[in-house]
This record gives sequence, C-alpha cells and structure tokens, in this order.
Amino acid sequence: MTYLTESTKVMKSAPQRSRFGTALSLLWADKFAMFAALFLILLAITCMVGPLLIGKAASGINFAGRNAPPSFDKGFLYILGGDNLGRSLLARIIVGAQTTMAVAITAVAASVIVGALLGLVAGYRGGLVSDVIMRVTDMIMSFPSMLTALVVLYVLGPSVSNLVIVLAITRIPVYLRTTRAEVMEARSRVFVTAAIAMGASHARVIFKHILPIVLPTLLTIAAVDFAAVIITESGLSFLGLGIQAPDFTWGSMVATGRNYIASAWWLSFWPGLAITLTALSLNILASWLRIATDPQQRWRLEGGHNHD
Amino acid sequence: MRFFKRSLFTLLSMAGLLLLVFFLSRMTGDPSYLFLPLDASAADRAAFSQLHGFDDPIYVQFGRYVVDLLNLDFGTSLSQQRSAMDIALEAFPHTLTLVSMALAIAFAGAILFGSLAARKPGGMIDRLISILSLTGASTPDFWVAIILVLIFAVSLGWLPTSGVGGPLYWIIPLFVLVLRPFGLLGQVVRGSMINALSSPYVKTAYAKGASEQKIIFVHALRNSMLPVITVAGDLAANLLNGAVIVETVFGWPGIGRLMIDAIMQRDFAVIQASILVTACAILILNILLDIAYVVLDPRVRHA
Amino acid sequence: MKKGKTYLAAGISGLLAVAGLVPHAHAANETVTVVLPEEPPSLEPCESKHSSVGRVLIQNITEPLTVIDPQTGEVKPELATRWEQTAPDAWRFYLREGVKFSDGAPFDAKAVAASIERLQRTDMTCNTKQQTLGGVDIKTNVVNDYVVEFKTSKPIPIFPTMMTVVQMSSPNMTLSGASRNPIGTGPYVITAWNAGTDITVERRDDYWGEKPVVSGARYVWRSESALRAAMVATGEADLTPIISVADADNPETDLSYPNGETTRLRISTMVPPLDDKRVRLALNLAIDREGLKVLFGEGAQLSEQLVGPNVNGFNPDIKPFAYDPEKAKQLVAEAKADGVPVDKAITIIGRNEIYVNAGEALEAMQAMWSEIGLNTQIRMFDTGNWLRYQNKPFPEPDMANLHQDQHDNLLGDATFTTFNKYDTEGVNSAVSDKRVDDLIAKAEPATGETRTKAFQEAFALLHDDIVADVYMYHMVGYTRVNPRLDWRPTLATNSEIDLSSIRFRASE
Repeated sequence: MTYLTESTKVMKSAPQRSRFGTALSLLWADKFAMFAALFLILLAITCMVGPLLIGKAASGINFAGRNAPPSFDKGFLYILGGDNLGRSLLARIIVGAQTTMAVAITAVAASVIVGALLGLVAGYRGGLVSDVIMRVTDMIMSFPSMLTALVVLYVLGPSVSNLVIVLAITRIPVYLRTTRAEVMEARSRVFVTAAIAMGASHARVIFKHILPIVLPTLLTIAAVDFAAVIITESGLSFLGLGIQAPDFTWGSMVATGRNYIASAWWLSFWPGLAITLTALSLNILASWLRIATDPQQRWRLEGGHNHD
Repeated sequence: MRFFKRSLFTLLSMAGLLLLVFFLSRMTGDPSYLFLPLDASAADRAAFSQLHGFDDPIYVQFGRYVVDLLNLDFGTSLSQQRSAMDIALEAFPHTLTLVSMALAIAFAGAILFGSLAARKPGGMIDRLISILSLTGASTPDFWVAIILVLIFAVSLGWLPTSGVGGPLYWIIPLFVLVLRPFGLLGQVVRGSMINALSSPYVKTAYAKGASEQKIIFVHALRNSMLPVITVAGDLAANLLNGAVIVETVFGWPGIGRLMIDAIMQRDFAVIQASILVTACAILILNILLDIAYVVLDPRVRHA
Repeated sequence: MKKGKTYLAAGISGLLAVAGLVPHAHAANETVTVVLPEEPPSLEPCESKHSSVGRVLIQNITEPLTVIDPQTGEVKPELATRWEQTAPDAWRFYLREGVKFSDGAPFDAKAVAASIERLQRTDMTCNTKQQTLGGVDIKTNVVNDYVVEFKTSKPIPIFPTMMTVVQMSSPNMTLSGASRNPIGTGPYVITAWNAGTDITVERRDDYWGEKPVVSGARYVWRSESALRAAMVATGEADLTPIISVADADNPETDLSYPNGETTRLRISTMVPPLDDKRVRLALNLAIDREGLKVLFGEGAQLSEQLVGPNVNGFNPDIKPFAYDPEKAKQLVAEAKADGVPVDKAITIIGRNEIYVNAGEALEAMQAMWSEIGLNTQIRMFDTGNWLRYQNKPFPEPDMANLHQDQHDNLLGDATFTTFNKYDTEGVNSAVSDKRVDDLIAKAEPATGETRTKAFQEAFALLHDDIVADVYMYHMVGYTRVNPRLDWRPTLATNSEIDLSSIRFRASE
C-alpha cells in the first residue's frame, strides 16, 4: 500500500511533464522495474543487431572446443563456454534470442487477442453465443497439445511459424475463460449497468468500461505465460516435436543440453538463465505497469459501490 | 432446464471432440509404416490396412467407430493388441492422483504466498516471493527434474531416482509438477488480492476493526477467487493431458505418456480412448468450475 | 547457515533411514533389475524382433531351434540337435528330447508346428515373419514326435539361419491378440506384469539346460538415458543395455561394445545434382568423420559398407574415404563446370533420436558441406513420417535428398541387406545399377565361397565405383553395469539380454 501511494505521489508532483517523462520518473521510483526495463531494452537491441554482429560464430563447428567450459582464456566468445559442437554459447544465446522472442511474442499475442475477443463476446452477450464459445473451448482444452503439434507439423510441415500456431492454439482457452469470467463480473457492476441503461453503445461499454477491468489480469497472465510458452516449446523439443535444426531457440538449447547436465552443465544452464531472466523482467514490469496505471482503477473504485 | 441445456451442450462438445480426434489423428499418417518392417512391400501394406479396416473410406471407418462406441467397444490397440480402453483406464488413475496432489499443493501454496505478497506490493516479501515463484515457473521442467535426480538421488542418495512406490517416490515428481502452477497461480492470487485489498468493502472491514488475517483470508480472498479458479481450472486441464514430461522422465505410467506414445505410433484406438477418458475428466472439471463461480459470486447467476 | 543445512540434511537422511524408506542397494540376493528404454508393447513370441520384447523374451522365456554363435557367426543347435536339407525347398529338423515348456506341455514336433502356425496367423501381423522370413510361407509336416519337416514357398539356402529368430512357444497359448504371458522352454517364467511399472521373471527348476546363477529378474523402463544411468549408479538397477555416450562417464561401470548397427545417409543417386558421382564423392570427402566421432564414442569405426565384419559378405578390403575437403571442393567445382546444378538445395531427411546425437550429427555435416559450397537443408521427422521417405514409392521422387538411416544385420548374412537396400527392385533402394543387381542375383541362390565373393564384390562396387551412400560408422553402444555383476555386452545386446550369461562377482 505504501508503494501505491508513493508512486501516485510521484505522479502528482509532476503534472506538467509529458506522459513519457511521467513514465520515466515512475520507473525511476521502482528500481526493480527499472532494471527489468533495461534488461528488456538490451534484449530487444540484441534481437535486432546481435545476429548481424556475431551470427557466424553461432554456426561454426569446432570439435576442439566441444563442451568447452566457461572461461576467460579463449576469448570473448567463449566466456560462457562452447556447446556440444564447439560453437560459442554466447553467440548462440544472442542469435537464438531472435527466434525465441519471435516465437514467444507472436504466440502469446495471438492467443491473448483471440482469447480476449472471444471471451469478451461470450461474457458480454451471454446466452447461446456464450454457450457455444465455451463448449468449443472445452473441446480445445481437452485436446492434447501434443496431438495438435503433431497434426499441424505433419500437415503443414515443421517450421517456426507452424510451431507458433500450435503454441497459440493451446494457450487460447486460459485467456478466453479469464476474460469471460471477469466480463461477467464487470457487467454486473453498477456503473456498467448504468452506462448501458443510459444508452451507451456496446462498443463504448466494452472498450471504455469493461476492457480496463479485464486488461490487468490478462497482462499478468500474459507475462507469466510468456515463460510458459518458451518452456512448452522447450518441452516439445524434448519430445522431438519442437523447433527443427538448424533453427534453434533458448528452449531447444536447454533440451539439447539436458543430455550433458552431468558432464557439462553450462550447455543448458545459460539458455535456461536467459529464459528465466526474460520472464522475470517481463513480470516485474507487468506488475509495475498495473500500479502505474492505477488512477484509472481508483476512479473505478470510487465510481462503483461494492458490497460483499 | 439450465442443467438440461448444460448437459446437452456438454454431450455435443464431447461428440465434436471425438469427431475432431478421429479425423485429425488419421491425418498424421499411415500406421502400416510403423507396424511393418522397413522392407515391407506395398502388398504387405495393403494386407495390413485391410486387416485393420484402414482401406475403407474414412467416413465408413468413422461410422464403424460410432457404432462400436454405442456398443461400448472402444477398439483394439495396434501395438498391444488388447482393448484400448483397458489401457487408458489403467493409466489414468496414475495421472489423476499425481495431478490432483500437485494442484492441491500449488493452490494452497499460491494462496498463502500470493496473499502474503499482496499485503505490501513492492515490499521485500513481495519481491522475494515473486522472484522465487517466477523463477520456478520459468525454468524448463525436464531440466529441473534431471538436476533434482542427480542431486537428491545420485549424489546425496536420499531419494529414489524414479518409478512408482512409497511416499519418497512422490517427492521429486510432485516438486517438479508443482513449480509452474504455483508460479502462475501465485501471481494471479497476488494480482487480484491487490485489487481486492484496495476495494471499499475491505476498507470498511478495516474501519470496523476486523483482524488483518480475517480481512485477507476471508473478505479479500473470497472476492479475488474468480480469476484464480479460472486459471487453476485451465492448469488442471492442461496437466491432465500434459504431465507428459514428468511421466516420461520418472517412468510414471500415466495417461500423458500413453497418449504421446500412441500418437507417435499412430495407434489410433489408444489415442481416441485416452482422449475420451481425459476429456470426460476435463468436462466434469469444467462443470465443477461453473458451480464454483456461482457459489463464489452469486451475481454470475443472473448474468 | 551452512552448518544448519548440514544438520538438516543429516537429520532428514537419518529419519528416512530409520523409517526404512530409503531404497537400499541390493543385499546379497541373486535377482537382478534391468532398466530398458521402453516398456514392451506385448511379450508376443512372434514379435520378438521388437527390441524391447526381445530383450525380455529371447533366451530367457523362449528359445529358438537354432542360434548364431556370436564369435564365429556359425549356426548352432538349440532346441533342434541337428538338421538336413532334403530338397532345395525342404528341410528336416531333429528335436532335442526331454524338453518341457514351463506349463508342463512337452516340446515336440506338434509344438513346433503350433509355433510356426502362430507366426503365420492372420489376425495380427507378426513382425518376425514379415521382417526375417521375408514373407516366405512355411508348411510343417510332423514326421514323428521329435522329427519335423519344413517346406518353404521358395528355396532358402540359409533356412537354419532364419530359424534362429523363430521363438518356440507352448501349444497351449491362445491365439487371440498379442500375448502378455508367453510360455516357452527357457530357464525363466513370467511371474507378474504390472502394466506401466515392471515385469518380473523367476528361474524355473525343470529347465532342460544348465541352471543359471541369476534366480530372477525385474524389468523396469525409463526413456531418459540420464535416468537409466542414474538408476544403475544408485544401485536401484543392475544393468541397462543402452545409455548415451555423454552419460557413459564412469569407466568402472560403463562398457562400450560394437552393437552391430551401421549408419549412413542414403543418397538419392538418380536425382540431380546427386546423379553425378563427383558430387556424391565430394559429400563423403567433406566430412571429418574422425572429428565427428566425439558424438558417438571413440570406439566407432569408419564404415565403408552397410554391414559389419560379423556378416557373411563383408568385404575387408574396402578402404574408407579419408577427410579431404580440398579435393571435395575441387570435385564440386569440376561438376559445376560441366553444368551439374550443384547449387540446388539438397534435403537431409533426419529422424529424431534414430541414434544418440542424430540431430547434432546432421547439423555438423551440414556445416561441413556448406564449407565446400553445397547447399543442404535439414528436415527432422518423427519415426512415422521418416518411414514414408524410407520406402518406395518415395513421396517426393524429384527431391534430391540424403536419408538418415541405420541398419543392423544380426542374422549374419548379407542377403538381409543387399536386395532391399541396393537392388533396383529393392523397396528401400535409391540405386539402380545393373552390375549390382546381377551380383545380388548371383549370390542369393548360391552357398559357400561363391555367395560370399559375390556379396563382397557388390559392396566394393557400391562404395568405390558408385558411391551410393554418405558412409558413416560401424557404431558402438554403451551399457552401464553394476560392479556386482560379471557380465559383458555382446553384438546381440541390442536385441536380447540373456540372463543366464550373468554371474555375480564375489563380494568383498
């Protein structure tokens, strides 16, 4: 609670500044969030320019450097050690970031958008539409993701984009169900019923009143889900259905490295650390965002009255 | 009336699922390649297809499947040459016990630690809990599994490496299985508790002088349960199908592993039977979830 | 803090020990636990070619009429004491007397007939018949209690070799589905099968042969190599037939052995640019096979033909290709100058986990080929999909491809390799060469020196003149064995684990 007031205070003290400036000062107030943001910016830059700089080092086979332990003696590229074909782990983590991020971001974004839209419709309209959507969701939920993976990869061929489709399909239900549940709850609130009674259009009610209530929860789930998607992808690699060589992601690097856990831990440790740090940063930033956008929430709380 | 409608829809979605599984699994290819030797001739393949009825048009095969279903015949496994349903029903209890225990632990842990974290968002406890739970949730499970075996079974010798047996055999698999649901649920609990704790009725409760424990675990918690239940339901459904990795690593004879093997072997009858079993479980779970919504939030009833 | 932890650790382990919950390493008992990579789908005797079935069944529960001596490759008596050929397509076998199945039924000519019938049943497809007998039909004729005659639908000069894979099973076994409780003449009987968990077998007292030392065995299965290795390391298991080279890090317990497998990439020799011999040769010369050994174990041997030295027809005079990237570059340049479309993409069709490090090997080779200017792309498949590309008719006949393949010829005769893999009509063959076809046709009906020579010539032709494959290795496998056992893997460990070959070391 103290944190909350602190950040609002910061906001109030700088009413004249631009929105960007406000955001920056809010970020400054939370050191964890700042580091998270810095890490993500660094990651974004890496994704964009990294492969251009050291792309070649990620594919050069070098049997002499096979499973080379992390050390400072062999030059900058081998700081994190070498992988099972003697390629620089640092270079592979940098190059792998691009595919990893592309897969995870696209899959999460696609499932959030589809899931949230369908959930909004189901929760807002209710009735038959809701029933149909929910039962189709039941079907998707009862469908093993591995079978989805195998069918998609068999019919469409193994590729990065098809992997994204598989991952997105399996993540839709959680957003759909969450959105629907929250929308149904929000719809029953006084200010929403009031807005509807006053003749506000459906679109206005949904986007102005309901979406702001739903969004924070969705963001929280999406931030955690981001890691879940990378790990699911890694699990698919573990079962031999994931990303196909020569493409690779952090997830598939961990899957390959598991064969060497006892003899060369660094093969799976570094990409695993990269996954964890990225996921952590996203989550910290997501929770910061929730609080930074709090005034809206406060308005909602003041506007409605809510008894247990 | 509502109950009737719900049952009807449930049956319909079940039928849809079976239809989908039947056709999609057959899109993954011809099992004769896997069940005949590498050098089998086209004639051998044809004979195999005929023996198992794969040479009929697919709608005829589906018709036969439906008729068999109505007679409670769920088909014969190609690889094991015995009833596919027997195989699925042997495996399912293993998964069910593992998953329900893991979820119970994750749920309890998430509520406890999520609420603790929500008390002071941004505080030390919050940071610590968030970082620990998120680290757990974002580390690949098979990796954790193998590491834990190497540490606790091989180096220290405290726990058995794998397999099914007494209480000790449960510790590592459960730990691995709990990590992700705990991380995800913990974050959701924390998020909705922050909301709930800043709401007017909690402030009212404070003003009335209710104890903090009571406020957190009774008033606020009850109001923040909706999204938690939703996410928990999704996790349960996922785990029922997807405890695959834990089952694979630890040699746990569950249904997730069975399904993967059946898919890899194009053993259609087993795919269908095991999906039927898990789907029934998931549908029952969804009905329970809907009931939970109504109990937790009476307003849903009128929506 | 650290001290606290240690106390805690000691406390927990003490508690567990008191409660008797920690699984102890085996005390001085005579049973062994074997950890396999997968659960057998059944224990059907006519499916014994399936490695997980065979490892439990063969020589333990059921036995064949004849066996192959792993040292000499010769066919030796087992349940048959001798045999003779009475016509090109007819054989007479004399059976061992006084042998009983574990259900009490006598082993006689009628039991042999029933076993052959089991093999040729129509309600399920028996792998043994399809794979080893090449679909040949066998008629049995009971001469008297201990003499049986076989008539085959076409002449088979190596019929006694083929009989090594036919497991004899009790005539009382029913013929519905695949058996989960096989009854044979072997030294052990199945006592329990807890589906998904374990299979246990026990020594029987009325076995006809020498009484084995091991009194019983428990089979469990884990798909992860690291887990199997860990189970033997902790004493939860005594033996695992296969672990990956990365897990074989303890010279005291980990044994490497030639496992009879030979690896290659099959070249689609009829599709440009692979129809040009120079390109095929360049593919071979460009890979550093000595360096690549790190993925498979230093014991792996560079291969120069698809069969190993244990096989009749193996040609010891072929020299494996040496690593020569300069020569390879030059060959590609020459081919390009002659208008061969060397820039065309070549697809590598891989299969996940076909052997340890299968994917990594392809990645490494792809990198080496790009060094000499060849454009390859990898497509990894699951087994079911990969198999479609293995057999004719090929799904994409115009695709220049290299097909990742592994072959074992455990019966010890090149006939089980050459026709299917290299004949124009062979169902897995991507080669069409009249000279090879003629040599195979010459070898198949022949015996003795003529047969051996013809197969050897064919292999030399395929390697030196045609360059039919990207040759890889005669592979090695790794096992981990608990030091309390005195046991060494053999060529056959891939397909069977003979419990009676296990002894215990004297404990100190």
